[in-house]
Parts: sequence; structure tokens; C-alpha cells
Amino acid sequence: MINTKKLDRILKKVEKPARYIGMEQNSIKKDLNNVNVKFAFSFPDVYEVGMSHLGLHILYNLLNSQEDIACERVFAPWIDMEEEMRKEGLPLFTLENKEEVSNFDFLGFTLQYEMSYTNILNMLDLSNIPLLSKNRNDNHPFIIAGGPCAYNPEPLADIIDFFVIGEGEEVTLEILNIYKMHKENNYDKDRFLKEIAQLEGVYVPKFYEVTYKEDGTIQKMEPTEKGVPKIIRKRMIKDLDKMFSPEKMIIPFIETVHDRITLEIFRGCTRGCRFCQAGMIYRPVREKSTERLLELAEKLVESTGYENISLSSLSSCDYSQLELLISQLMDRFEEKKVGVSLPSLRLDSFSIDVIKEIEKVRKTGLTFAPEAGSQRLRDVINKGINEKDLTTAVSYAFKEGWSTIKLYFMIGLPTETDEDVMGIKNLAYKVKDMFFSMPKEERKGNLKVTASASCFVPKPFTPFQWVSQDSIDEFNRKINLLRNSIKDNKVTFNYHDSKLSYLEAIVARGDRRLSKVLVKAWEKGCKFDGWSEHFQYDKWIEALEESRIDGSFYALRQRDIEEILPWDFINPGVSKEYLIKEYKKAVEGELTKDCRLGCTGCGINKCFTGGVCN
Amino acid sequence: MILRVKFTKKNYLRYISHLDLMRLFQRNFRRAGIPIKYSEGFNPHPKFSIANPLSLGIESEEEYMDIDLETKISVEDFKEKMNKVLPKDVQILESVYLKKGESISSLISWAFYEINFDINRGLDKLTLENIIEEWLNLDEIIITRLRKKGKNRVEKDEDIKTHIGNIVIKKLEDNNIIIDVLLRSGDKGNLKPMDFMEALNKYSSINIDMDSIMIKRLGLYAENNNKIYKPL
Repeated sequence: MINTKKLDRILKKVEKPARYIGMEQNSIKKDLNNVNVKFAFSFPDVYEVGMSHLGLHILYNLLNSQEDIACERVFAPWIDMEEEMRKEGLPLFTLENKEEVSNFDFLGFTLQYEMSYTNILNMLDLSNIPLLSKNRNDNHPFIIAGGPCAYNPEPLADIIDFFVIGEGEEVTLEILNIYKMHKENNYDKDRFLKEIAQLEGVYVPKFYEVTYKEDGTIQKMEPTEKGVPKIIRKRMIKDLDKMFSPEKMIIPFIETVHDRITLEIFRGCTRGCRFCQAGMIYRPVREKSTERLLELAEKLVESTGYENISLSSLSSCDYSQLELLISQLMDRFEEKKVGVSLPSLRLDSFSIDVIKEIEKVRKTGLTFAPEAGSQRLRDVINKGINEKDLTTAVSYAFKEGWSTIKLYFMIGLPTETDEDVMGIKNLAYKVKDMFFSMPKEERKGNLKVTASASCFVPKPFTPFQWVSQDSIDEFNRKINLLRNSIKDNKVTFNYHDSKLSYLEAIVARGDRRLSKVLVKAWEKGCKFDGWSEHFQYDKWIEALEESRIDGSFYALRQRDIEEILPWDFINPGVSKEYLIKEYKKAVEGELTKDCRLGCTGCGINKCFTGGVCN
Repeated sequence: MILRVKFTKKNYLRYISHLDLMRLFQRNFRRAGIPIKYSEGFNPHPKFSIANPLSLGIESEEEYMDIDLETKISVEDFKEKMNKVLPKDVQILESVYLKKGESISSLISWAFYEINFDINRGLDKLTLENIIEEWLNLDEIIITRLRKKGKNRVEKDEDIKTHIGNIVIKKLEDNNIIIDVLLRSGDKGNLKPMDFMEALNKYSSINIDMDSIMIKRLGLYAENNNKIYKPL
């Protein structure tokens, strides 16, 4: 245990000290001397963000359900806390037992966002653990990682000992069980790593060698050890009803980003938006049954006392029994004043009917994501909605009493022209005009339209994985086009920092040569890069230059279809042929239908489900 | 009907704010199935109020709240149900149904604190007593406080002498001191224990290690005819 006297001195000085005390209801504190494996679930961002992440609650409860495993939590301490910890010489500790992180067997990082990687390095440093895998010995914990960004693990290849690709519920337990066995019989680190490298979904970077061509692209990637698979297949849970689902959630004392019950209703998405990584890597769609969901909701309400249940998935309105589920939940919980909410809305009147049902009294704002301003570009990205969908949905929403509308867009999508960019303004203005074209007596509330634009970042395992990103200058030019033309006190225009998106694009499609850039950026003081007030673009550029790495090679370069990509050795189930086909269709502006309406041949069924999806 | 409740807030839970504590109770009323009244309107909220919010970082042996119930349940039942769901560092001590009377917030006028701190100099008990007595004999003890006035923050001087009830030295050992102090708390005047300590450090020669201060509220008191008494 750390020196709690030091901790007490510090806690009085920092902002939101409850981030660091643990002891929340439903948290689990075991006697660490009585378990065989100590696992630190590590979230490389601040407490309020990490505690809002569903995966944490799943793995935490799953691992702790095993008698001989203890899973504790650790988050990135906020800047003020880090400063005090370094001053007092207090190492990073877990919230449950206030135990030094370096005394654990595993540190499992979840990779939700590329720009959180410097926080991983900072957390290792605060734990007095060497940053590079090769500098760690048997006395150090294994540093492991999983989550969506692990689908391109290469930028972290020098830092992480091994990755888990895909859904972690089963494979994490398999790994820990093998570890227990090895610990009992004269343990050897490499022997353990070699054994788990055989497990489906486990990737041990040091067992692979990458060679490069003269132009800097990859020549080949080969295993250096016998019996280590050349292709890593993702892990996928077949039956979500039979899978471990938490019946409890830790309830933070302080307010977090999502302070409610998260009820995961299905995994995967059938829509096939071409920019969306989640829509590809989480295939196929697997629903939990309404029966199972009601049972889980009952237990979660009982164990948490939360007043809201959020129905979570990539596209919740697509749940096949949504109306039934919602009406049953409302029947069951109305008396307890527990509400139901949907995190994302489809642009159709069905969705608005649903939301009308659950927001009977209070009309909070409505958020839609047309993603692109023109129909042409929406077809390119296969968004599958047209302007009529939007106008129908919005006019219906206005009639029902909503007056705050948020519209999400991306700029810099492949093939985008200035006309497409101006389409963002046109759409926002159209929404405004629709409000004021209603007779005065029918208008309810005070109209507010917000159009938000993020800068498109091409991601691995999407049909756009080959495309060049817009340069920072080009992004800014397009942003200024909009800024200078949206001048209306009812319409607000927000946009993301193009510099941050540039760096995100470098890391997202980076290879293992980027590990040294990450270390250098961290050495220069980069951390919490996703927080605009802490993002230091110039430091990142220095880090790239000093490492002799050209960021544009990763962000701006249009790749050849034939090129070996750094993540090609991972098989997510969706085939490369499908991604190529989708890319070609995108350029032609051809749509691909929602695959609930008929198979579109993405390959997931051949790879995983024995021929059928659902 | 109003139930007046006495409860604790101890150990690490001194680091959760007043608002966090409100949310904690809100969730646990629901979990325990307490028939609490909800406000009308768009966003119904359970009706209860906690007296004299503690500052972040201060623990307490005795806090009070009034809660408005829809139907009567026995006080034993209430305590048992709540303590089963509440964390061990926030626990119900006792409760009583009010027949009539003032709300808990307007009733409280004094708070009793135990303050534990280190000093950066050697000191014997007699000297310490003298220093404190001398300090309390000053004509006025002025502290400067930041007050919000609309959007602006203005500094305001305030004489806190009448806000200090008494000071008892409980322990002095190896540069560590424990004192009990009675300070005004509530609408008729309010002195936060940290402000008290800052004033003590500023106007006396004690030389306090301000980072070492640990504060515990021992109780809250009402006042009637110059006599103080516990509200429950």
C-alpha cells in the first residue's frame, strides 16, 4: 500500500479529490494477499471519462467474479494531482487497495482514442515502470492493451507487451488462467508469451519483424518465432445472451460524463457507413434478447439506484424489438421514476416517435448526424439518408415541441468539393427556415440550430483506409468558408481543431516506427492531448522531426491498394476485398444497402458465423 | 411529513462534495425503497435538505437533514434500510418525526469542530494557551473574504471575533496540536474552520503547517436564550 499520509496531504490540495479515493458503491476490494492474479484495469484518461466507459464495468465485474483474481482500477491523474504526486514522491496507485500499480501482475490499458497514448506513457512513468517493453523484466507487470484502437496496434508495438484484438470477455480469462498455470511451474516470461501467442486474438509484437522498402512502405511482416500465427484473427463473442453481463455498476460519487445505467442492447452495426471503423470491426450484429435485457435492467436499477437507463449500441434505433423493449422498461420503472434514454437517433419519424414516448414531459435537444452537407457526398460515405429524411424528421420534431437541433458533420471527406462544404450551411439554414415557415402560433420554444464539423480522420479497416487526409491548411480553408458564411444568430457553427485531427491521423494509420515519436512527445511534456487546453501541437511536430519521421507520410499520403498496410496482419472478419469494393463504389457515389435487408458480402459470415448473420 | 435525520460523513468520504452527497442520498433513497416525496414539475426531485453543507475535505460525526415523506415508516425501519445500502462512512445514526418547527437549516447556529494540525516550532501548552488568549482578546479579528456580487468577485473585510465561541486545547505533543472550537454556522453568521485557522495563523505566532490541517465536525447546535442544544 502507498503512504496514505502523503495521499491525505495531497488530496486536500487537488481539484475533485474524489477522483482518487475509490470506495464507490459496488466497487470490489479484495485482500491482495489472497489472490493469484492482480490485474489493474488502466484507463488512460481522467476518472470521469474512464468511469463512463462500459467496457470497464464489464471486465471489472467479470474478472472480480473469479475468486483468485483481483481487478482494481487506475486512471490518469489530472495535471494538478500528478504534480503533487511527483512532489511527494507518491507512485501511481489503484483506487481499491491504494496499492502501487507496479506491484500488479498485469496493467490492462483500454485504447479508446489514439490521442490518449501519451497518457499511457505518463502512467507507466508515474508507476516507475520502464516505458519500453524490452527494458522490463520479470519483476515488472505485463503491460497489455485492447479496445478499438488495438486494431492497429503497431504505433504502440515497442511499449505494449501484448495486445488483445477484438472482444475481451473470453480471452482475458483464458490468458489469466494460463498465467496462473505458468506461475505454479517454474515461470519463464517468454515461455508464457509464446503460449498465449497461440490464443486467437492475442498479438505479441516482439515475435514479429517488419521490413521496409526504400520508399518507406512495408516490405513484409513475418513472425520470428515458430508456431506464432502470421495472421491474428479478432475475438468475437457468439451469443450475447450467454455472455457475462454485469448486474452491477460502480457508482461514482462525483458526476461523470455518462452518469446512468448503460444497458448494452446489441453489438455491431449493419448500416455500412464507409468512414466508420466501429461499423466494420464490431460486425456481425448480435442482439441481446428483450427478456435478458429486462432481467439485467431490473438488477441494475436495484443495485445502482440510478434514475436513467441508456440503451447503448452503435445504432440503438436499429434494435429489432425496440418499441417492445422501451414500453416494457417504462411500464416496469415508471413508478420508481426511472427514465429511459437513447444515445443516438436515426433520421426518421419512427425514431422521433420513440423519443417522444420516452421524453414525455421534458424536451431536451435533438441531435442528428447527416455527416455530410450534400446528397452526393452522403452517397459517397454511404450514409443512406437523404434530405427528405432530414426535413421530414425535423418538421415532425418542431411540431412535437423541440426547438434545439444539433447537426453533426465531417469535413475533408474523400472527393469533397467546396460545394459539398457549403452544403453544411445550406442544411443548417434549411432547418432554420423550416421553423420560421411554420405559422407563428405553432412554433414552440426558441429555435437554436448548431452545426458541428469535425475533421475527417481516415481509419484502418474502413473503405477509406487508403485515402489521403486533407492538410491542416485545407481543413482551415474549408472551416473558414463556413465560418464566414454562417452569420445568423439562430445558427451556431462549431468545428474541431484540424491540428489535432492531423496527429490523430498519423497515429491511427501509423506503424511501429511511431513508438519512438510517442515516447519523444511524452518526454517533451505531451499528455491529455485530447483536451484542447493541454494539446501542444508544436511539441508533437518537434517530436516527429527529431525522430526523423514525416507525419505527412502517414496522414496525407494516398496509399496504393496493393500496399501492405501496417494492420494487414489482423483479420477483423470483414475482408479486404470487401473494403476495396466499397472504396471503389464510394468514389462512384454508389450506395450499398443496409445488410439487414440482404447480405452485402462483407465476409464476416464466412469468417465467424458459419455462413449466416442472425 | 418531515423526518429529521442525523448521519455521519467520515474518512475518505470527506472528499465528496455537498452536491455529490445529495446525489448519493437520492440514489439510495431509491435503492432502499424509502417513500420520499417528489417535487412537481418537469424534472421531479426528491424533497430533502441537508443542513449547513460541509466544505470539501472535512469529515463529520453528526450531520443533519430533513426529508419529506409520502407515507410514514418507522424510524427503525428507515435506519436499517438506509444503512444497508449506504457506504459505511455515511451512516444514519438516528431520526425523529417532527411535530412542527423550524427547518433544520434555519435552526442551526453553531458548529463544533475538532482540528488537528502540526506546527513548525516548539511550543508548550501554557505558551499556546497564552497565545490563543491574547489573540481572542484583540478588539477585532479581521479576515478578508471573496464575495460574489453578481458576476463580480469583491473582497470584503469581516470581523470574525464574535463568530468564535470558544477554543479548547485537547492535545499538544511533538509539534502536533488538537483543538476543539465552536464557530458560528448558519444564516446569522458563518465562520468556516479553514478561515478560522488562517486567521489564527496570521494574527498569532503559532506558525501552523497549513497543509497538515485535518478537520472533523463533531456536531451542529441550535441556540435559544444563550443556550445551545442539539437539534436531535
